[in-house]
Amino acid sequence: MSLFEMEGIEIFYEDVQILWEVSLRVEEGEITSVVGGNGAGKSTILNTISGLTSCRLGSMRFLGETIDTLPPHERVALGLVQIPEGRRLFPYMTVLGNLEIGCFNARAREKKEESLEKVFALFPLLEERKSQLARTLSGGEQQMLAVGRGMMSQPKLLMMDEPSLGLAPIVVKMIFETVRSINSQGVTVLLVEQNVRQCLDLSNRGYVLENGRIVLQGTGQELLKNEHLRKAYLGL
Amino acid sequence: MSEGKNKTIKLLKANIYYIFIVIILCVLPLFVRNPYYAHIFIMFFSYAFLAMAWNIIGGYGGQLSLGHSIFYGLGAYTSTLLFVHFDLSPWLGMLVGGILAISISVAIGYPCFRLHGPFFAMSTLAVCEVFRILTVYFSDLTEGSIGISIPIRFGLKNMIFEHKITYLYIIIGFFSLAVLVSKLIEKSKFGYQLIALREDEDAAESSGVDVTRTKLKAIMISAFLTAMAGSFHAQYALYIDPSGEFSILLSVLMAVMAILGGVGTVFGPILGAALLVPLQEILRGQLGGQLHGLHLFIYGVLVIIVVMFLPHGIFEWLKGWILPWLNKLQILTPEMPEGERAREDLVAWGRAARDMSHEDEVILRTRDLWKSFGGLVAIRNLDVDIRRGEIIGLIGPNGAGKTTLFDLISGIIKPDSGVVEYNGSNITGIRPAHKLCHRGIGRTFQIVKPFGNITVLKNVMVGAFAREGAEEKAREEALEVLDFVGLYPKKDNLAKSLTIGDRKRVELARALATRPKLLLLDETMAGLNPKEIGEALVLIQKIREHGITVILIEHVMHAIMNLSDRVIIMHHGEKIAEGTPREVASDERVIKAYLGEEYVVI
Amino acid sequence: MLEIILQVAINGLLLGGIYALVAIGLTLIFGVVRVINFAQGEFLMIGMYAAFWLSHLLGIDPYFSFLIITPLLFLVGIMMQKVIIKPLLNAPSLALIFATFGLSIALQNGALLLWKADHRAIQTSYSNSVLLLGNLIISVPRLVIFAVAVAIVIGLFLFLQRTYWGKAMTAVAQDREAAMLMGVDIHKVYMLAFGLGIGLEALAGVLLMPVYSAYPTIGFQFCIIAFVIVVLGGMGNIFGAFLGGLIIGLVEAFSGFFISPQLQAALYYVIFVIVLVIRPQGLLGMVGAQEMGFK
Repeated sequence: MSLFEMEGIEIFYEDVQILWEVSLRVEEGEITSVVGGNGAGKSTILNTISGLTSCRLGSMRFLGETIDTLPPHERVALGLVQIPEGRRLFPYMTVLGNLEIGCFNARAREKKEESLEKVFALFPLLEERKSQLARTLSGGEQQMLAVGRGMMSQPKLLMMDEPSLGLAPIVVKMIFETVRSINSQGVTVLLVEQNVRQCLDLSNRGYVLENGRIVLQGTGQELLKNEHLRKAYLGL
Repeated sequence: MSEGKNKTIKLLKANIYYIFIVIILCVLPLFVRNPYYAHIFIMFFSYAFLAMAWNIIGGYGGQLSLGHSIFYGLGAYTSTLLFVHFDLSPWLGMLVGGILAISISVAIGYPCFRLHGPFFAMSTLAVCEVFRILTVYFSDLTEGSIGISIPIRFGLKNMIFEHKITYLYIIIGFFSLAVLVSKLIEKSKFGYQLIALREDEDAAESSGVDVTRTKLKAIMISAFLTAMAGSFHAQYALYIDPSGEFSILLSVLMAVMAILGGVGTVFGPILGAALLVPLQEILRGQLGGQLHGLHLFIYGVLVIIVVMFLPHGIFEWLKGWILPWLNKLQILTPEMPEGERAREDLVAWGRAARDMSHEDEVILRTRDLWKSFGGLVAIRNLDVDIRRGEIIGLIGPNGAGKTTLFDLISGIIKPDSGVVEYNGSNITGIRPAHKLCHRGIGRTFQIVKPFGNITVLKNVMVGAFAREGAEEKAREEALEVLDFVGLYPKKDNLAKSLTIGDRKRVELARALATRPKLLLLDETMAGLNPKEIGEALVLIQKIREHGITVILIEHVMHAIMNLSDRVIIMHHGEKIAEGTPREVASDERVIKAYLGEEYVVI
Repeated sequence: MLEIILQVAINGLLLGGIYALVAIGLTLIFGVVRVINFAQGEFLMIGMYAAFWLSHLLGIDPYFSFLIITPLLFLVGIMMQKVIIKPLLNAPSLALIFATFGLSIALQNGALLLWKADHRAIQTSYSNSVLLLGNLIISVPRLVIFAVAVAIVIGLFLFLQRTYWGKAMTAVAQDREAAMLMGVDIHKVYMLAFGLGIGLEALAGVLLMPVYSAYPTIGFQFCIIAFVIVVLGGMGNIFGAFLGGLIIGLVEAFSGFFISPQLQAALYYVIFVIVLVIRPQGLLGMVGAQEMGFK
């Protein structure tokens, strides 16, 4: 049984169809990626898993249980945590405040001190800046905080929406190393990215999304070598 | 001569119901003997008139005014003071009051129209209160809170009559005027533009609607009519005072009647008044003042219920189940708009050839363009040359600045520095967008913005009105464009009921109806299925054949690569590559931008 | 002369405290739920009448009856959110405006029906007590209101900063979707915000009874002032509401004294319109202003 399964998902926004028959699985302990160009529908997949968007057709299962009807906060409680695109920190709250909101659900709240220690170990910079307002951090620091905040929720599946967006190449490298590090601690990761090379490089398995459809799937290495990948991105 | 006769007969037949109603209205007062019933009718027609006046800016225009009593009070006080002090006939005083109301409406509208929704409402309420307070304060002029009693001098010139019947005739006349004005507005270019801006201001602006001026015109008309009612009421009640004339309750009732009945229709406000007046008179009058406020309490509850369950007002709800029933009984025939030709008669759109030989080769040029938002540079040092008749693809990762460039060209925002030249003229920083529309720059939006609550045809007519003044011409043009884009069969559907592909086509048609020379398409193909994408490709090529230059922002790569003559790649606000699709796809910088650093080309 | 100015200033500040207390509920609801509750003033009115009847019929002093009234109205607030607000959250914004407006009309006239238009007042032993500071007079009940206003501002601040639900509310106010992704139950937060907003409004009403008399439209009149304050101080900002209240109180006191009592009200309406047009985010606020459509 996969940690997470999505089958035949079709998403509409009003009458606009955004996703067509999307099926994917995430295996426990792995890093799985979904890559694709702008407007392909990647964020929509994550928002559907998180419950912010509802699907008209298809179903999703987490740990074997159907989650289609659960409201967003209950999915988080189960361990389905998303770090949204653009980080979406709470700008006027401190670093510590943002982290604390991360463990709003009861299960995570019990482990708050433990989680905080882990996060500060992973990102010592955050501990230094813990009383600073989130909006005053740099792009890279904000991404770290976003990841840290996600970790506070005791995720079983951590989903990251374009963590490299808008960041300098050096920072991007650091982010991907962090993902590797988190994964090695046992957290399953679902990564959605435009930045294909680095992403597929560290993924166990991947899916390529084009205009709302999965057009390719395979292991990370297989996909990197694939001719059609370039076509999917550049249209030629 | 028989041609004219035939036309007259046709006209009569088409409007038979209105004629019927007019006859009833003329005859009705004669049957109302009892002064009490006369009073109720006078109240009904007064409130209906007020609701219709409010509806012009509040319903058609979508600007929620909660301070309309300003104009009512201005009308009442102006005509009264002129009558009492200078013996000026209230008929003339009413005109003076109306003109004063118009001026004040502009003074209020101009600064306050930039506020939206509840904030505009609150500010109108505040201004109304200020007027009330000032009226009390300047008691030397206005007698303050004591109010003014109007001397009873009967006569037509004085608009004071012994018998209520006469008042009834007058107010019926006003009522008919309001109905006429509303109907005329609905059919006019002004009306279409007003409704468009209610639906979506940005889209309206880009379709050639001067939003500010249109709003001001609407509030001016509304103010004048409201002031008329104030003057009438003064001469009817023969007493005015600040809290009665500048009454918050009245302001609110005007709005509520229109909303209950259904905003943006002619009959909605009338229906709302028809609900209020009997409630008011029966509950207030009959129960002998015992149950103060019951009618308003019921009214308040009604508003909540209607808002929650009948959001378009009671009139639309009634229409929903009365019309089919009437159709069954063959009483009503479906309305055939005047002058609509059959499809076969349509001239293929745009066939009238345009002589472009004297026009410049470069239609759009930017030099050294910069734009920042806060600390973020969105457009950096951008130089672009677009030649007439090209199809240019504008691509780049998210946040590259593509839509910002469109906004700069179409007049939605101003550049920080740099030059934008269009057709040889410097258009840098020209705003608002309707000016650019009139110069021939049309656009669609990333998040499609059709005018949801009106039909496809009317949507496109708004665009056509950028070039035409008459409804018939606009309709003709709109029908031709609809045929061109393939939406003719759905012309009478409400825009919001369409699929995304069709909504995008409506937006496109609307932009085409403004007869652009340069067309900016923002992610037209997002969300379309492969078949629809194919259709869109064909359509865009046809548009180019009509001599329109097209710039497309797209992410559907294979589409844009196959369609474009040239492609411009933007990244972090800069142009990083430019050339034919083939050239660009093998450009290393492009590959890096899209696929990330270190991607090895196989 | 200086003494007169000081006295006017004191009156103004105390008045400001009253206004601040009235405005806090409104700004809280707006900040978290992004809804402008046009019926807010009516809950002030209901609080006043409740205090009146409890005093009149059962002899309970307002400074005790608030213990009953506030929790009760807290529950009413929760109900209002569930029944009226929640179904309309995704409807066009005009719908919510009219729904709360309709509620306001219904409540005002319901009160008119039930209790007539007569002013109802309570006489308590301390209604007229004053403190003397040299030659300066400070009205005790107004001082109590001021103190409570300060206490509530501080209390809310601590609540929002230190407790889980308070932090959740702050998070929702700053980024609703992100809060949902963090596992915050949005609708519970909304209910809490409404409960608090309405409950606090009723509390204000109860405390006002020793000073003002109750009549059906009093809520509406205070509500307009509350709007001015909320916009002036910055929508959604508690401190802004307090500051705004003090400013308006001082403006009213000084204008009443130096210009004319009649023009007092006109002055703050003018301020209101000017603030809206020139600096819609108010003095301190920023959160939420854009969403309400300021360009």
